[in-house]
Amino acid sequence: MSARPPKIMNYILLLPGLLVIAFFLVIPLLLTVVISFMQEFSFTNPIFTVENYIEFFTSPQTPTILANTFGMSLLASLVALLVGYPAAYFMAFRIKSIKTRNLIISLLLVPFLIDWNVRTIAWIPILGESGIVNYLLQYFNIVHQPVSLLFSRWTLIIIWLQSNLLFMIFPIYLALSRIDPDVINAARVLKSPPHRVFYEIIFKLSLPGVIVGLTFVFVNTLGDYITPSLWAGGIQVLGLSVANFAANFVWPYAATQSTVLILISLAVLVILFKIVDIKKLVE
Amino acid sequence: MKIPDFLVKTYIAIIILIIYLPLVFVVLLSFKSGANISFPIERFTLDWYLKPPTGYEYAAYVSLFYDRQFFAALRNSFTVSIVVALMAMVLVTTTALAFRRRMAGRNFLFYLFLLGFLTPGVTVGLGVNFLFRLLNLPFSFWSAALINVIYVVPFGLILMMARFDPNLLFYEQAAAVLKAPPLMIFRRITLPLIIYEVISAAILGFLLSWGEVIRTQFAMKGIGTLSTFINTQLGVNPLTPKWYAAGTLISAVSFLGFLVFAYLLTKTVRQQA
Amino acid sequence: MAKVVEARKLAKRYKGAVEALREVSFEVDENEFFIIMGPSGCGKSTLLRIIAGILDYDSGELYIKGENMKNVPPHRRDVSMMLENFALFPHMTVYENIAFGLRMLGKDKDEIDREVRKMTRLLHIEGLEDRMPNEISGGQRQRVALARALIIRPSVLLLDEPLSHVDYQLQRKFAEMLKEVHREIGGVFMLTTHDQEHGLSLADRMLIMNSGLVEQIGTPTQIYNDPQTLFAARFVGELNTFAGTVEEVSPDAVWVKTEFGTFKARHPAAENARDLVGRRVAYIVRPEHVRVAREDSGQDNRLSVYFNTYYYFGHFLELVFSADAQTRVKSVISANEPFTAKVGEQLTLTWPYTKATIVSKPSVVEGVDIEELIYGK
Repeated sequence: MSARPPKIMNYILLLPGLLVIAFFLVIPLLLTVVISFMQEFSFTNPIFTVENYIEFFTSPQTPTILANTFGMSLLASLVALLVGYPAAYFMAFRIKSIKTRNLIISLLLVPFLIDWNVRTIAWIPILGESGIVNYLLQYFNIVHQPVSLLFSRWTLIIIWLQSNLLFMIFPIYLALSRIDPDVINAARVLKSPPHRVFYEIIFKLSLPGVIVGLTFVFVNTLGDYITPSLWAGGIQVLGLSVANFAANFVWPYAATQSTVLILISLAVLVILFKIVDIKKLVE
Repeated sequence: MKIPDFLVKTYIAIIILIIYLPLVFVVLLSFKSGANISFPIERFTLDWYLKPPTGYEYAAYVSLFYDRQFFAALRNSFTVSIVVALMAMVLVTTTALAFRRRMAGRNFLFYLFLLGFLTPGVTVGLGVNFLFRLLNLPFSFWSAALINVIYVVPFGLILMMARFDPNLLFYEQAAAVLKAPPLMIFRRITLPLIIYEVISAAILGFLLSWGEVIRTQFAMKGIGTLSTFINTQLGVNPLTPKWYAAGTLISAVSFLGFLVFAYLLTKTVRQQA
Repeated sequence: MAKVVEARKLAKRYKGAVEALREVSFEVDENEFFIIMGPSGCGKSTLLRIIAGILDYDSGELYIKGENMKNVPPHRRDVSMMLENFALFPHMTVYENIAFGLRMLGKDKDEIDREVRKMTRLLHIEGLEDRMPNEISGGQRQRVALARALIIRPSVLLLDEPLSHVDYQLQRKFAEMLKEVHREIGGVFMLTTHDQEHGLSLADRMLIMNSGLVEQIGTPTQIYNDPQTLFAARFVGELNTFAGTVEEVSPDAVWVKTEFGTFKARHPAAENARDLVGRRVAYIVRPEHVRVAREDSGQDNRLSVYFNTYYYFGHFLELVFSADAQTRVKSVISANEPFTAKVGEQLTLTWPYTKATIVSKPSVVEGVDIEELIYGK
């Protein structure tokens, strides 16, 4: 709070946040890992085993689940990058008015804030068999039978794009807008052609933003299991499997899969933290 | 070689369009007559919001205004989100203030807080479920709120840290030298200078927990919040414009909150060269 | 006379090592204008913050009016401070800013009003009371910050680089105002600066700091004329330096053999004659004592040089000569003095031995080699 007894004061300030984090994040995750090694969810008579892991990694479904989980999130991140980078670039270099920039950022935030169900049912009147696209296609006699647009992997990507684009555009925009224009001018004066200026200066300096964006979209989509199960032809992802086993009270096996999910996210995050310092984008 | 201005504008416009178009359809469909989600819309009506029930309909056909469960869930949603807002406000402020100083483990702690958002909701939900079962604690709106708080705090933290006046520490030191005791410094200097960020953090907490499904589902029993309630209903009931009406109302609250949030972001006490 | 501030072996360690205090001891008397001078990063700001109480020290002792300051929070110290970037509260008017300290001390409204009016008059900032800090000029902000710090009438007023955040003209004006305010109000003023001109002209006594250590404490004339280290000598003004070995010592003079011949200098007050013979020292003479010789002027020291270039400063002229390829020698003369020479012309420089002296220590910082400090690396 104030200047004087800094250290103690600081830890006092941190305490409430740390307590909540401990009780609702750290301990639950550690507990999950412990339970993933148990035969039954029972601490009165615990039996520890690695059976769950053996079962998971030898299950014929596992490769498909992991491929779906990884593949779709990775695809979503890359599509978000392809769509988001030009937008971030335009915002940083082509849109001069700070007000307009802030307006765009704010507009990107809204879909993320909108209720998850709303985001989902919103696409049915557009892409559904009796939706507006099919209606128009039939009206103009392009097709004669409704086409199934809704239940494909690309629908999933579009839905994810809608709510996650902010997480891609914002960090890249932050990184780009911190580039000193004179650095770019210096490169120009030193005879760099435009594509080299872009790659050697602009893109390389925006890399921290790119990496933060990729990771955020990746991790954020990794945790969403309901959308893939609804849209992408009902594909199985790891999160859904966790939820299903949990719903059927198969706790240790759900814990095992959950642990794998944590490890995947953590691995991605550790790689991120090694490559860039997120705090630099904040401070 | 330079990309023409109109292309730049078109590109941004298309992106905004793609992410907003679905929301427009949600509002449109909520006024559609008839139970099908289909085009063209022949007649607009308020039936899905206001029509009195005959008493024989399934839940999916009862208008919102007469759906008791809807109102119960609505109340739960407000309770949870307001609690999240207040907690987030306090936690974000205290944590962000602490993070201003160099201290042992600062980076580690920062990443730990960030983990609250970066950990998949299903794993957090499952873990909290385990802990509550183990300790025999009941689920309530408190647990629903707290599980959302750890998800919300990192956003607020980033927002507040990015917007902190870099001179804040100097103002506090100046006040200390001018004989202000610590609590007085907080009241007269720190709080007035970060008040918009503090309120923003609260609103962000409200907004992010307002539409959250996965975490809340794991930490709340009974009818749940609006989002978990509708999620459950969609699983067992046919899709009718009623759910679009519900969605319109939920989104209206989100949007109003967003407007306040965006307005606060443009405000700042910070001035001075 | 009573010591108002007394520091004994104050030390503060940082992980980054910059701005740390290694060991600082000094005393400040009543009503002294005490200046702490040193290059940026030498720890002077750290020292001021420790005295104010917004920073803790690791070891040593600090007394203010005889009272030990360990664990005394800033609001319980008889000290006030003007922070480096002024730190005017941006959400308060000028009036509220100035009144802040008195309000914290629980003074009643009338008294606050009276005192604020007194301050604004003293510092010529009347009429700004209702403005916000971002609505006034840099110079006005500077004076508001001073008023705010001064109004609680502290025994010790700390001023952290008050002169470095405004234009050059304002610096001088503010410096003069500071000296007048000090004369009027009294008390101890402790000011940090990295600018020798401000330091010398304002100080009753000054402390030269380097890398968290004290190079020298003394009056401006003591430090300017009898520097104890080459670092202190350099820091307060321009210098001609020659590395050499002491050959001979008399009660009032020393002879130093350099590569340009043997030069005679005043015996330094602080040094013991017997220890000096054979020592590697820096022979120093300030440029204003070096003159171009006319015929045989009978001075003690003569040096043959080539004219190199000159710099015109309006009221004085700085002449630069080469003694050899690396060694430049400077002479400062009044701009009114006639001087004509062609570039490359050979001339003889002279200076009286009473105006030259020697220092045997490069710096209080260990590991600095005297030759290195003279010639550079």
